[in-house]
Amino acid sequence: MPEGAPAPARSTRPTASGPGRVLVAVYAVFALAATSRAAVQLATDFAEAPLAYLLSAFSAVVYVVATVALATDRRWSRPLAFAACSVELAGVLVIGTLSLLRPEDFPRATVWSGYGSGYGFVPLVLPMIGLWWLRRTAATSS
Amino acid sequence: MHSPLVAVVVTLSLLVLVCGVVVAVRDRPPGRVTLAVTGLAAVATLLQSVVAGYDLLQGRRPPELATYVGYLLGIVVVLPLAGAWALAERTRWSGLVVAVGGFTVAVMTARLVMLARGTGA
Repeated sequence: MPEGAPAPARSTRPTASGPGRVLVAVYAVFALAATSRAAVQLATDFAEAPLAYLLSAFSAVVYVVATVALATDRRWSRPLAFAACSVELAGVLVIGTLSLLRPEDFPRATVWSGYGSGYGFVPLVLPMIGLWWLRRTAATSS
Repeated sequence: MHSPLVAVVVTLSLLVLVCGVVVAVRDRPPGRVTLAVTGLAAVATLLQSVVAGYDLLQGRRPPELATYVGYLLGIVVVLPLAGAWALAERTRWSGLVVAVGGFTVAVMTARLVMLARGTGA
């Protein structure tokens, strides 16, 4: 699509319509929670558990990006949301596994520790729903 | 944390959850009742944070002060944001949006009580 051209009649649905609005709301809650948690951890006792706290900060960024990407309907929204949800799913799987195998490396919990068990496993389910929703809203495309 | 105020906030926020789910199940956008309850819950939440902030200034400091303050600030924006997001597209899904907001405020209030007692992790 050339720059500045009007958007063609699109076959995809905005991700923030219908049930997607609830998804965005839940993502926003996690963005808020993860960002505040990371801010507190980094500001108060970063030296205590640098790895866990950096991961907290990273997950916070991922949640914020996913929330914005799912809530907006721009050209970059869909690929960005796909990337954020994929990174999030990989993160919760990798960190969840590591936190169980090597708990000594994770003295302080991150959102993704124990596959998000501290948050009712929502961090594990959320990216799956996000990816499914992206597929679902794009399903009518040619 | 003032127990009566906490009880009011938890009751109202759970009422928001119930109202939101009910309108979603009935396949309607949130009506006046749901929005009024959401507004009341938002005001009660703000009041709770103001009172708790006043207590902090009086010198009663919970052990995890930064987290506590973060929750006091964060909890205030949840219901106004949920309400605005719900009003922007008025479908049954808007009901679930305010329901998520109500549930979040209830959970955050429970965490605030734990943090104020110094028993929260």
